[in-house]
Amino acid sequence: MKRPPLVVILVAVLVIALGETAGAAMARLRLPIQRFAAQRIDANRAAHGLSGSAEYDDEVRARTVFLSEAGLSFFHTHAEGLGLVLLFTGTLVASAVAGRRARGLLYLLLSLGALFPAGYLVYGLAVLELGRDAGVELAERWVLTGLGSLAILGLLGLGAALATGRRRR
Amino acid sequence: MTAGDAWRLPPRGVLLVAVVLIVLAEVGGASMARFKLPLARWARDAMLARPAVHGLVGVRDVDERILDEALVKFDAGLRLFHLHAEGMGLVILATTSVAATLAGAGGGRLLIALLTVGGAGYPLGYLLWSVLIPYRGIEGGKTIAEWVVWMPFGGAAIVALWWLAGLVALRMAGRWRA
Repeated sequence: MKRPPLVVILVAVLVIALGETAGAAMARLRLPIQRFAAQRIDANRAAHGLSGSAEYDDEVRARTVFLSEAGLSFFHTHAEGLGLVLLFTGTLVASAVAGRRARGLLYLLLSLGALFPAGYLVYGLAVLELGRDAGVELAERWVLTGLGSLAILGLLGLGAALATGRRRR
Repeated sequence: MTAGDAWRLPPRGVLLVAVVLIVLAEVGGASMARFKLPLARWARDAMLARPAVHGLVGVRDVDERILDEALVKFDAGLRLFHLHAEGMGLVILATTSVAATLAGAGGGRLLIALLTVGGAGYPLGYLLWSVLIPYRGIEGGKTIAEWVVWMPFGGAAIVALWWLAGLVALRMAGRWRA
């Protein structure tokens, strides 16, 4: 099997390394991360609708910290997965797709698509800064949908290239 | 296709470790489903035999809540082993192939060893945690798994992955300069 270009391999390995590191950070730095999240929520009281009632505010804080941690957790799992997907699909493109331009386009789509997990990092931070609904909306609209769509396009393109049967020699 | 464009396979031993890890993950997942009740019963009996470790006080309402939480973590440890072993088996296959293809002979061997040992050892920490929960409690088991497995093996895998990323970046920079 042929290998994809170095830049594709670099993106894949970086995404996997970031995913691993985030997993270790989640386990090792859980308390500091929760403290940081609570501080950011308190610094953005209006966005979170904190009322000054301890019971209500604690509930809001707990739910938002949970969402922020979920963002980090999704980043960890998706980064590990998509790094591998990029390496394997990049290898398929390099080995089986004819036409330099077609390969270049597929590498571009698949590599940008592999950055999709970064959307979950944005998600984790945005819910702290903008509040739950606005944060999730920002991450979904501006990062997750865009990069996820590129990944899907790349995969569909690869499928189409394989289906048309023009093999690289 | 030139030799430089093709993937090179890592050593056979590395492939074997990765495949065995994936097999263990599959068997772990199947066992969790098939032996769910016997496993939970075993863990519960082992916890009841060590009331001091788990802070059991002899009051049913209090003890049942403590036992339930420990059983949830026991199950979570097994599930995390299953997931991480499947994932890391594939990560070992992919990253050692990159290292075998792009790293030189000397550093490549060490890098492949780190990726393999770190990647294969790390998921076993979840299994160890699960096994230790009935004997040492949730936090006691976690501390042991952290120091004995997660930090050394997980640390090795993370260092090796960043080393590999740096190596690929250097190769790219070298190509551009040439």
